[in-house]
Amino acid sequence: MNKKAFEFTFGWMFAIIVGGVILFLALYFSSNLLKTENKISDTKTAKEIGIILNPVENSLGEERTTLITYPVETRVYNKCRTLGNFGQQEISVASSARGGKWEEPGNPSIFYNKYIFSEDMIEGRENIVLSKSFEIPFKTADLLYIWPDSEKYCFIDPPSYIEKEIERLELRNINISSIEKCEKKSRKVCFSGVGTKCSIVVNLREKSVKKNEKKVFYEDDLNNALLYGAIFASPEIYECQVKRLMKRTSELSIVYADKSRALSVKGCSSNLDFELIAYSNATLSFANSKEIESINKMSEEIRRKNELLSCKLF
Amino acid sequence: MSFCRVNCSKGQLKIQEMAFALLAIIIFLVISGLFYFVFKASSLKEDVGEQRENEAREIARRIANTPEFSWSTSECSNCIDLDKLMALKDKESYKGFWNLEHLRIEVIYPVKNGECLKVNYPECSSITLVNKSIAPLSSAFVSLCRQEFKKQGYIKCELGKIYAGGKKVE
Repeated sequence: MNKKAFEFTFGWMFAIIVGGVILFLALYFSSNLLKTENKISDTKTAKEIGIILNPVENSLGEERTTLITYPVETRVYNKCRTLGNFGQQEISVASSARGGKWEEPGNPSIFYNKYIFSEDMIEGRENIVLSKSFEIPFKTADLLYIWPDSEKYCFIDPPSYIEKEIERLELRNINISSIEKCEKKSRKVCFSGVGTKCSIVVNLREKSVKKNEKKVFYEDDLNNALLYGAIFASPEIYECQVKRLMKRTSELSIVYADKSRALSVKGCSSNLDFELIAYSNATLSFANSKEIESINKMSEEIRRKNELLSCKLF
Repeated sequence: MSFCRVNCSKGQLKIQEMAFALLAIIIFLVISGLFYFVFKASSLKEDVGEQRENEAREIARRIANTPEFSWSTSECSNCIDLDKLMALKDKESYKGFWNLEHLRIEVIYPVKNGECLKVNYPECSSITLVNKSIAPLSSAFVSLCRQEFKKQGYIKCELGKIYAGGKKVE
């Protein structure tokens, strides 16, 4: 027997097996740790997005635009739920696609007082945010419209008030043009008639927006806030957010009705509390955007009566 | 020291040595893993606390302009409507709305005392909307306005402060 030959003893076998197990465990734990770290970072980003959106809102009824820039390519998931007294706005984030495959998003951050109108998922390193206040007839919330910087919109034959507003706000990636001159990859928003090339069709007479083969309704005397919502959001998100807005309007109506009663005691009667309670019930039972027209009529009546008061409620 | 006091071969001794070495490595890895997780958990707690504080600070700064708080008419666009806050005070539906543990509005000048109730309003100093716990508080100065009526309606404003505290990290 050759004594110099390699001897595969039990010791070697044991060392290889145990070494293998240790290596496998180390790789397994470190990859898991990396996933957890990513998830923590994405969860933190989602919360931070919610916090940095605060200054964009609450801008005294003025429109505002801002740009959110992420360090890496990021996906923001927008989920809307109608449960509870105010519904929920969920924001979750997935970042850093490794090898073109995206990780699962981090834990969602939940907000009750935010209303984001966007597609279900916004992908890109930069997102454009526009904020507008929503008044029906009193201010209910600031609406946020978010779309990725890489997505271009082409507005075809918009009415002059929309055209002026877009020019005034200097909205990035929104061009006003004719269908022939629109960029090929842009989303074409048609305001006059149905065209085969239109991605979004706005019917100004019917006050409706058709997108992804689904029709939603708006009221344009509400500062165009809902019209923009219908254009930038997916129809499902639009319906959900409008329902949430109605829930908050309902709660605020009760607050104003209580204020009206308290002012009556002080000697400044408005007699609007019964109407506000009826309005609260109507907004609470709001089912879908088809009902926005009747809600708007009630709101206009309350607005008109409030303007005549010596002690205005809002 | 050896556990083989009787009839132990050299090979067996080597295996024992290796087993002990492995055990030592595993114990070292487990202890360093534990240290890592304890450190990570405490830094995570710090981050969460910091984020909640930031959120509370932002809310304190901005809440005067939210529809539930703001004086809606154009006379005072950045004021808080105390009449509305009194209506909001006992609303259960708003308890979890702001994601805060503590939210209080206090009249600083003129000096008054006591929590506002329907019986003593407006001769009181503070309106507490959320009081789940005493968390670290962020504050901001605000104008607190209300409708008064003497022959005709007028607006009376006072100096106040808003206190907001996020959830405490346990």
